[in-house]
Amino acid sequence: MTLLGRLTSIPVSFRVPLLVALLMVAISATFSERVLDRLSRTQEAFLEGIAGTYLDGLSSAILPAVMREDVWEVFDALDRSAASYASVSPVEAVVTDAAGRVLAATDPTRVPSYSDLPPEYSARYGAGLVTIDETQRTGFAKRDLRYQGLPVGTIHVAFDVSPLFAERREILVTLLVTNGALAVLFALGGFMLVRRMIRPMRVLETHMRVAAGGSAEPIPTSAFPPRDEEAARLFRGYNALVRAERERSDLAMQLAEEEKLASLGRLASGMAHEINNPLGGLFNALDTLKTHGATAGVRDTSISLIERGLAGIRDVVEAALATYRPERSQRPLTPDDFEDLRLLIKPELRRKRQRLAWDIVWNEGPVAAIGSGPVRQAILNLLLNACAATPDGGEITFSATAASQRLTIGIGDEGRGIPPDIAGILIDRDPGPAIRAGRGLGLWMVRRMMDDLKGTILLGERAGGGSVVTLILPLAKEEYGAHAA
Amino acid sequence: MVAVRRRWEWRQDVSATSRGRISRRTLLAAGGAAIAFASTAGAQQESFKFGLTPVFLSNDLELLGLLRSYLSARIGEPVELVTRRTYQEITALLVSGQIHGAWICGFPYVQYRADLDLVAMPSWRGKPLYQSYLIAAAGRTADDWSALAGDIHAFSDPDSNSGFLVTRALLAENGLSPQSFFSRSFFTYGHRNVIRAVASGLARSGSVDGYVWEVMRETEPALVNQTRVVRRSEWLGFPPVASPKSLAGDPRVARLHTALISMSDDFAGRRVLDLLRLDGFVPAEASLFDAIAAKVELVRRSG
Repeated sequence: MTLLGRLTSIPVSFRVPLLVALLMVAISATFSERVLDRLSRTQEAFLEGIAGTYLDGLSSAILPAVMREDVWEVFDALDRSAASYASVSPVEAVVTDAAGRVLAATDPTRVPSYSDLPPEYSARYGAGLVTIDETQRTGFAKRDLRYQGLPVGTIHVAFDVSPLFAERREILVTLLVTNGALAVLFALGGFMLVRRMIRPMRVLETHMRVAAGGSAEPIPTSAFPPRDEEAARLFRGYNALVRAERERSDLAMQLAEEEKLASLGRLASGMAHEINNPLGGLFNALDTLKTHGATAGVRDTSISLIERGLAGIRDVVEAALATYRPERSQRPLTPDDFEDLRLLIKPELRRKRQRLAWDIVWNEGPVAAIGSGPVRQAILNLLLNACAATPDGGEITFSATAASQRLTIGIGDEGRGIPPDIAGILIDRDPGPAIRAGRGLGLWMVRRMMDDLKGTILLGERAGGGSVVTLILPLAKEEYGAHAA
Repeated sequence: MVAVRRRWEWRQDVSATSRGRISRRTLLAAGGAAIAFASTAGAQQESFKFGLTPVFLSNDLELLGLLRSYLSARIGEPVELVTRRTYQEITALLVSGQIHGAWICGFPYVQYRADLDLVAMPSWRGKPLYQSYLIAAAGRTADDWSALAGDIHAFSDPDSNSGFLVTRALLAENGLSPQSFFSRSFFTYGHRNVIRAVASGLARSGSVDGYVWEVMRETEPALVNQTRVVRRSEWLGFPPVASPKSLAGDPRVARLHTALISMSDDFAGRRVLDLLRLDGFVPAEASLFDAIAAKVELVRRSG
């Protein structure tokens, strides 16, 4: 991960305090530099003031003695002034006459009287009144003594300025400590504040994550942060979204129900036909029994005819009941369910004079993981669609293969192919647009059933024209073969 | 006046810096003489003025206070202590009668014996005698005064016996003078200042009052121990207390004499003496100053 990536991946509640702390450090660095700069200029001004006063006092005290070249008086004045000007911390003073010859110095062993002033004394002065040598922590100043406009001598002074540097360092340390403490304090404060501010987001985040898992819950009013209007608005928005989603699911379930009824309706006429067809024969057989019931042979034939007819009606009714009775829908899927479906689709096939190619490979027992109801409904819808799509006299295929870990069901037609937007309902990630347009509700049911069972839908083309819809349902391994028929 | 002029010439070759004071000095001497006539008449109305030279006492205000109160009590009048920077000023005041008594050095006494009476002499270590010391920095190896040749030398006062005359005479005895023997010399106007000058290194050697050096070794050892004694002179008459001859009959002067002589018997007086490290005061003997007079003569003759 790049540095930037690493940085942005730090959570907000740490990033903000970190930024605050960095900002504080930057501000305090600038501020401290300004303060220290100002301090050193103030100190220099103060030092110049004090040095000026010192030199004033000293020069007025020694001027008469310098004019008389009175070595002792000059020395005495320097010696006595060292005590009274303690605030200036004079380290050394040297007084020379007009010719640059030393009259007296505070340390005569170093700079003897009547000697020439060492050259480094003249060379050490800069532009201002006081020149500071930072390495030696000493300040230098000089004052030319004049009487009636003529030079009579010079005072050379050295001061100890280490108190100045000590003061600067002390202030720097104070600044650093204070600013450091403030930075830490503000960073902590920022951290707490940010945490408080994003707490509503945390609540929202948790709810969203739960929603992504499938079961969206609205945020209870008790979890709304008090006095936070923005967050409350956000939560209300989220709750509205959840409610809308719930309404949609409710609507979808409602639609599914209605689709069931719709497909029931579609079958109704076929079923009526299917029940009606034997009825004529049954009544004929009854008439025959009424007139020729005494004859044994006629009686047996008629009875078996009636029995067969009634059995047929019973099968159809039972098949319908199995599809449309909710309590039966959770029974595990068996090959018998497919037989029922074949029965149910027969009226439609007969009406359009179509054939059904039937191929079931199911050698094991029922699969408990798959409830029969939804699967029957879905396959019935697909079969009805295949019938509608295939022209009169065409062929529809149905195959079901229960293999080791999955059940593969294929329904084929001889139609012109499923339109892409309708096909999208089955295979697109988001089947939304077509459904919202109100079309393909039956396929939407198939899609829902497959999504619930975590199955796969495949669309293909048949060799001789037409489409194949393949449903692949995973079978739970431990269930397979656990139940005998 | 002849003596005055000679001294004036003499002072010139010692130091050119005295020039300012010289004109003042002659003025003072001339004017003082005139005032002296007037002063005797009015002497009774003023307080008793007692002069002190800047030996080392002037710094010690406690001592001055005790001395003043003792003298006032014994003389019976308020006493005013008069201090000046130089011996010359005090001597002039004394000779002209502007002060009624003073503790002066033996050298000015010898110079103005005609105008001064001795009142009393201090006794130190049992004798009214002291020595002049030649001192140098403590770490310096100098066995003999001749090792001080070429030094920057500190004198105390041009009118000081121990602080100038003795050394001058010593050099004159050997055919030398301060200008020829020392590279430079200057006056510090105080014995303590001579010690300060040598201790700090401003001067390589100095001429100082031995009594002052010894007492300060007790009171300010940190300063004095930065110096060492190279030569001690012979014993000479201790700086006396003198009064102007014009006040010879003045009872206050007599009371001063009594006060000084009996100082060691008095409780308050003993406090003063303790501070001065003196035994007491004894009657003065003029002969004790003959040695100093001889030095004056020696120096005069050597030109």
